[in-house]
Amino acid sequence: MNGRPEQFAAQPNELLVERLRDGLGLTGTKVGCDTGQCGTCVVRLDGRSVKSCLVLTASAAGGEVATIEGETTRGGELSGLQEALRQEHGTQCGFCTPGMVMALGELVENAADREAPTEPEIREWLTGNLCRCTGYHSVVRGVQRACATARSAAGQEV
Amino acid sequence: MTAVTGEAPATGSGVLGQPLDSREDPQLLRGEATYVADIDLPRTAHMAILGSPVAHAKILSIETKAAEQLPGVLKVATAADFTDVMPLPCIWIPGGVESHFPPHPYGLPGARPVLTGDTVRHVGDPIAVVVAETPRQATAALAAIAVEYEPLPVVTRADEALAEGAPQLHEAVPGNLNAYWTCGDKDRTDAAIAEAEVTVELDLVNQRTINSPIEPRGAVGDYDAATGEYTLYASTQGPHNHRFLLSALVLGIPFNKLRVIAPTVGGSFGTKGYLYPDMALVLLLSKALGRPVKWVDTRTGLMNSTVQGRDHRQHVTLAGTRDGRITAVRCTSYANLGAYPSTIGPGVATALMGRSISGMYDIGAAFCEVYAAFTNTVSLGAQRGSGRAEAAFLMERLVDRYASEIGMDPAAVRRKNLVPKEKFPYDNGLGWTYDSGNYQLNFDRAIELSGYADMPARKAEARTRGKRLGVGLATYVAICGVGPSTRMSQEGMLGGTWESANIRVHPTGEVTVIVGSASTGQSHGTVFAQVAADELGIDPATVQVLEGDTQKAPYGQGTYGSRSYSMAAPAVALTARKIKSKLIRAGAVFLGIPEDKVVYEGGGVHEEGNEKNAKTFAELAMSMWYGWGLPAEIEPALDETTHFDPPDFNYPFGTHVAVVEIDELTGETEVVSYTAVDDAGHIGNPKIVLGQIEGSITHGLGQALMEAAVYDEQGLLVSSDLTTYALPRAADVPFFTLDKTVTPSPHNPLGAKGAGEIATVPPAAAVVNAVVDALSDLGVQHIDMPLTPEKVWRRLRGEAQ
Ligand code: FES
Ligand code: FES
Repeated sequence: MNGRPEQFAAQPNELLVERLRDGLGLTGTKVGCDTGQCGTCVVRLDGRSVKSCLVLTASAAGGEVATIEGETTRGGELSGLQEALRQEHGTQCGFCTPGMVMALGELVENAADREAPTEPEIREWLTGNLCRCTGYHSVVRGVQRACATARSAAGQEV
Repeated sequence: MTAVTGEAPATGSGVLGQPLDSREDPQLLRGEATYVADIDLPRTAHMAILGSPVAHAKILSIETKAAEQLPGVLKVATAADFTDVMPLPCIWIPGGVESHFPPHPYGLPGARPVLTGDTVRHVGDPIAVVVAETPRQATAALAAIAVEYEPLPVVTRADEALAEGAPQLHEAVPGNLNAYWTCGDKDRTDAAIAEAEVTVELDLVNQRTINSPIEPRGAVGDYDAATGEYTLYASTQGPHNHRFLLSALVLGIPFNKLRVIAPTVGGSFGTKGYLYPDMALVLLLSKALGRPVKWVDTRTGLMNSTVQGRDHRQHVTLAGTRDGRITAVRCTSYANLGAYPSTIGPGVATALMGRSISGMYDIGAAFCEVYAAFTNTVSLGAQRGSGRAEAAFLMERLVDRYASEIGMDPAAVRRKNLVPKEKFPYDNGLGWTYDSGNYQLNFDRAIELSGYADMPARKAEARTRGKRLGVGLATYVAICGVGPSTRMSQEGMLGGTWESANIRVHPTGEVTVIVGSASTGQSHGTVFAQVAADELGIDPATVQVLEGDTQKAPYGQGTYGSRSYSMAAPAVALTARKIKSKLIRAGAVFLGIPEDKVVYEGGGVHEEGNEKNAKTFAELAMSMWYGWGLPAEIEPALDETTHFDPPDFNYPFGTHVAVVEIDELTGETEVVSYTAVDDAGHIGNPKIVLGQIEGSITHGLGQALMEAAVYDEQGLLVSSDLTTYALPRAADVPFFTLDKTVTPSPHNPLGAKGAGEIATVPPAAAVVNAVVDALSDLGVQHIDMPLTPEKVWRRLRGEAQ
């Protein structure tokens, strides 16, 4: 769990999001729906983003789970993506935000090694995450900014 | 965004009007903000609510014994447990308070009890609650409560609810009619329509939609037996307002024994300003059990219990001359209030809609009548742009119909009828007096920016790709800055609608601003700091902003109707001015000079012509805190409060242009470009307002293209989760082209107008106009929202609506 081992007995019907929030107190991961549609609960399981409201805790046994709490230390420096989202004001009420950050991580992390994602690609990447405040525009701009920063840091053309 | 016109904002340190980064964002980005669901008080018990599975029925019996025996269950409660609790009040009563005061001190007949005892009136109507050790235990126990129902006939449409022989919802409301409300001049309007060269008519359905903030609602109640004090944590837009409603009108507990705290709130858009049963229940049950009681809603629960929006069926008529001069507009509307009058829903369905119908146009005669009816659906309330979006929709659809009838360009018709600049303040004949505006400038800018002139060529080009391109215009005026308290009383609002701010300057020179408003994602902390810093000439980083806790903040109504920046921010500015004038008076003493020689600059004071005889802001703050040597007429310390009640509302406005492409094969509508030029007067932080405008337009596009609360014949909400209720996703919208004009409002010291939700008002009209434009050669004159691919596909193949 965010790089540290955690040991506990999970109920067979326990959802990963319940374990994170109620069991481990990692409340950065949010619950916005009951049908796997909103994306506020996205975490990364073995590097891939998943909706933790659709994953049984037991099925994640032995896997590596990364949550928003693992992105920074409390009050700590923002990641490249978070910083870019801050600059573009990609968050308003912030309820969708942790899920978005976790869902977009993969896209931005690989930005230095591949072509910068196009706007439709970014929008496609975001279709699993609902935001009612921003209309996504500032989030898309944030991702563009984060990718550009990552690429220029790696000496790529922006 | 760049302003195409405007005057310089107020003097000061110049930070107002700057696109400062939101200081709230980093915490949100780290997932560290506390929402209601994250609050974890020691010994918390968890509440679940049993909602009715049927839309209309008599409750014959409720059996709770089995549920009480289940593991972890602490209490099962029904209406019988709360007989001394008053129903939830409705505080916006169409027609003015006099007509209702008495007989119902708590609002309208038909008000919702905290739990329903005898008759359920919509699916989700709360019948019983369980409190248990864990949320899962509480939810599981709901299934063990046995309720026997005797079904009653169901009605879900306002017009049908008013028909002879319709099912009756409330004994006290014969014929289901909550209010018949009118505004404008009926005789003049009827005469103008009768005499007109041209009239056009439309039957419109402004479908019911669900606001869907991404955070569902939640509440935690905590009763302290030692002090008799209650604390409510709730996802609310108006903690003070909820404190007033709950203490004075529902629970009958002293005002000063209830504290309401709004933690971080995950979006609201109108819905979280309403009083819901759960807010009272967690408090009552916390007292009964001697433990904090927490309730967090599910998405499906939200869909079946949180107020819904829009929902009008209208017959509308517009009259004009052959050469494009509009002479009258008339609207008859059937508004669906749902099963119970919500906190302010009846006002949304009447005044907020009806008084706006003539929009930006100078029309000789206008009249609106609304039949507001009860039906077996979730209660109606506000939804981003509420009332004003419904008004803009009908007017802008009519103007397009009229333009096509007389064969004139829709832009030319609009241009011809805009209220001219010299006519402000402008009485719109429906009850509003528009404060200021330069509609021509705004309109022309949108037309130019959208490339309107190129549309014919673009239409032809699109056809070569199997697409039909359509362009739609919509203009709007949105009443904001609710409100002048006396004027609101005439509108039927029970409550003071002013805002307040307190500023304390600490001995070390830092400043705390405390406001009665409460953010639901609008970066109040950033913007109110800018306002105070600008007035005082200090660095905004030294200004702390507190809000959302009734124990800390002075009274204020809260955030709704895009009012915080034109209501609470002026209170901040005026308070800062009090601080400043006190510093000038005290500065004269400290500097040993007459008051008229004191220059206040950059937060400090100095002698005119002698910058050496000076005190910095921090020095002044410390001196004021010591209070040494102050004459009797100057009190020590710097702590001022202002209650701001504006002389009148403010009226932002704007012009939007939607361009859509419809796929001939699939009927799919894609918004390919969207241009918006809005005027919200002077803006405090353009970066934050930009985000709100983008979100607002997207929200409006959702109503046009995909959103609908669908009830079946039995009154079951079919679209009750996010698999069946479509919200716009990132791929559904393009980047928008945005600009602004700046026409300051004379009704507050910042020249501000509402901004947060105003851009939600016109998009539905703009998109429907665009789609009808794209299909006009097929004889299509109107399509009801949402414009699903199937609906459009059928029209492409010549089927009638
Ligand atoms: S809570 Fe998991 S997708 Fe909505
Ligand atoms: S910022 Fe509020 S839902 Fe996305």
